[in-house]
Amino acid sequence: MNAFQGRVTAALADATLKIAIDRTTNTARSKRTAAIAAWPEFAKARELGRDIKDHVIANMEYYLNQFETNAKKTGAKIHWARTGQEACEIVVGICKAANAKSVTRSKSMLGEEIGLPHALEAAGIERVETDLAEHIIQLAGEAPSHIIWPALHKTREQVGELFKAHHTDPGALETVEQMVNSARRNLREKFMAADVGISGANFLIADTGAICTVTNEGNAELTTTPPRVHIVTAGIEKLVPSMVEAMTMLRLLVRSATGAELTQYTTFHTGPKRAGDVDGPEEFHIVLVDAGRTTMLAEGLAEMLRCLRCGACMNHCVVYRQIGGHAYGATYPGPMGSVITPSLDGLEKSQDLPRACTLNGQCQEVCPVAIPLPKLIRGWRTKAWVQGYEPLHTAWALRIWEFLAVRPVLYQLASNMALRIMPVFAKGGWISKMPLAGGWTRYRDMPKPQGGTFLAQYKKHQAAK
Amino acid sequence: MSNAKKAIFAAIRKALPAPASAPTIAAELTQLRARVTATRPDRVSGPPDEVFLDRVQSPGVAATAERIISWDEFPAVVMRYAEQHHLAPNIALQPHPDLEALNWGGCQTHDHIHTDETLAVGLALGGIAETGTLIFHSSPQSPTLFAFLPLHHVVAVPYKNIWSWMEDYVASFDGKSPPRNVNFVTGASGTTDIEGALVRGAHGPGWLHIVVVGAAAQ
Repeated sequence: MNAFQGRVTAALADATLKIAIDRTTNTARSKRTAAIAAWPEFAKARELGRDIKDHVIANMEYYLNQFETNAKKTGAKIHWARTGQEACEIVVGICKAANAKSVTRSKSMLGEEIGLPHALEAAGIERVETDLAEHIIQLAGEAPSHIIWPALHKTREQVGELFKAHHTDPGALETVEQMVNSARRNLREKFMAADVGISGANFLIADTGAICTVTNEGNAELTTTPPRVHIVTAGIEKLVPSMVEAMTMLRLLVRSATGAELTQYTTFHTGPKRAGDVDGPEEFHIVLVDAGRTTMLAEGLAEMLRCLRCGACMNHCVVYRQIGGHAYGATYPGPMGSVITPSLDGLEKSQDLPRACTLNGQCQEVCPVAIPLPKLIRGWRTKAWVQGYEPLHTAWALRIWEFLAVRPVLYQLASNMALRIMPVFAKGGWISKMPLAGGWTRYRDMPKPQGGTFLAQYKKHQAAK
Repeated sequence: MSNAKKAIFAAIRKALPAPASAPTIAAELTQLRARVTATRPDRVSGPPDEVFLDRVQSPGVAATAERIISWDEFPAVVMRYAEQHHLAPNIALQPHPDLEALNWGGCQTHDHIHTDETLAVGLALGGIAETGTLIFHSSPQSPTLFAFLPLHHVVAVPYKNIWSWMEDYVASFDGKSPPRNVNFVTGASGTTDIEGALVRGAHGPGWLHIVVVGAAAQ
């Protein structure tokens, strides 16, 4: 059993995890379905969203230049990072130059991807995660398990225990409301005392140089407004040409993520504090990060750069909903993660992820920018086969099947044999244990074969006509 | 140009070796923009201020709202709100001249916001009917934290500044440079981070009361 299989086995055996996953993803799916049903123009909007992203990606050099020029005009300082490590060094460097003792951070998947939390801690800077879910997993010392609900794997009972252990004066922690109030009280002073606030960006607006953040809690604005310095880390693919396109993308993003029409707080941040402003950061830094995006562009994964990080693909994935996010062992779980991770971490390390997929196409169907995830996952499987990463038993099983499949007489003989042998292991119409089928029967039963092989039934059907 | 930027642009150029010209990019963008109207949710079928009042009180936004005809009525609305919620009439008043010019007799007001402010009173630049969204532009008269620190936020919005769709708002400041912060506020702060259950007042206000000021002549 390799590391991935070990994580999957542990996840499947964790009954609490399954309850936690179901509670959040079931709500997310039903809310999204209702939001899309109430928007008859969704299909057209989705095509437009896809085309806007494709337009920007095809003209990335043009729009990056435009964004940089306009952002600089507003007083923003622009930094470029080739790798995650380079981005972390830039951010830590800015924090040190600002003599930062404490940094607040609003949830950013790019930050997780490049290892920013670890880099800040390694530099001896206090890191305060302000998104409620990130706060929960920071207290638990865990990694996010979902890109929208990072603490999705935690039940309310587990969160209550954590807050009881870590919060000052938590009070009663029996209801979710009480837990949220305790977090509000405990994080309040941290927001105001931070020297630097770090956010991600949902969109980079090329024609104004603004960056857009989207939250429901209001933690992004409380992270970016009181501190003296605001640092933004953003992937270079986050561009949209203007506010007009941002509106289309917001409609798609929010409905797909949470089923709301718009998040409670959508903010466009344009440069540092202006003359006379009572609040706002004096320094505004934007770190534009490649970290594998240009490699994806060159590797035939340009469609993946459309991704808005809404999480709809994982909420609808039959595999994710069984094993949760941690089993993937990567920053990005679920279908989008199974495409991105092999590019970021290398196929050799993450070859199991593209295989953890039934190719049922649900992810593509719900993706707000129509990313052909099954096609891209199949692409990685092909590469894994060509590069010889398939496990030996899979490779041999496929070779045997291939040998039989091109020899119809032998194939029928083998099918007939299977039909005779399999019922021997059946009890009450179901097979719950059978040699060479442990991978299947460990978690579910197999129906007893009935009525002859397909070809035998087909011949009988034709003869009866 | 920094070395990192050079390397990133070289990688982009290698992957996309034939960049389009600026006029071609602009023409493509014009074509994309022509498709926007057909994709908007077709639900703003009345005067935008009336649709806005409906939307902000819909379950998705879940704010409370009312309309007053004249600005002079606004302090009384705030007093009534404070009474209904058993709040002391001690308010953080957004330092906007239109608000400061009103008669706040009976209230204690201050023009700054505390970390644990209970009640703040503000003035939004405008609203969006499609989504039930308030819009704030940061300025010396509109500090950003007024919309995020209080537990209760009572906000006035002039009926004339309520746009039908989000794109109409964007078009309204076409050509002008944007403020430091444009804040779209669509309901009170909320979180679904614990088991997907919605709880209000995560970090921002737990209560949002919207007051549309004025009405079209009948």
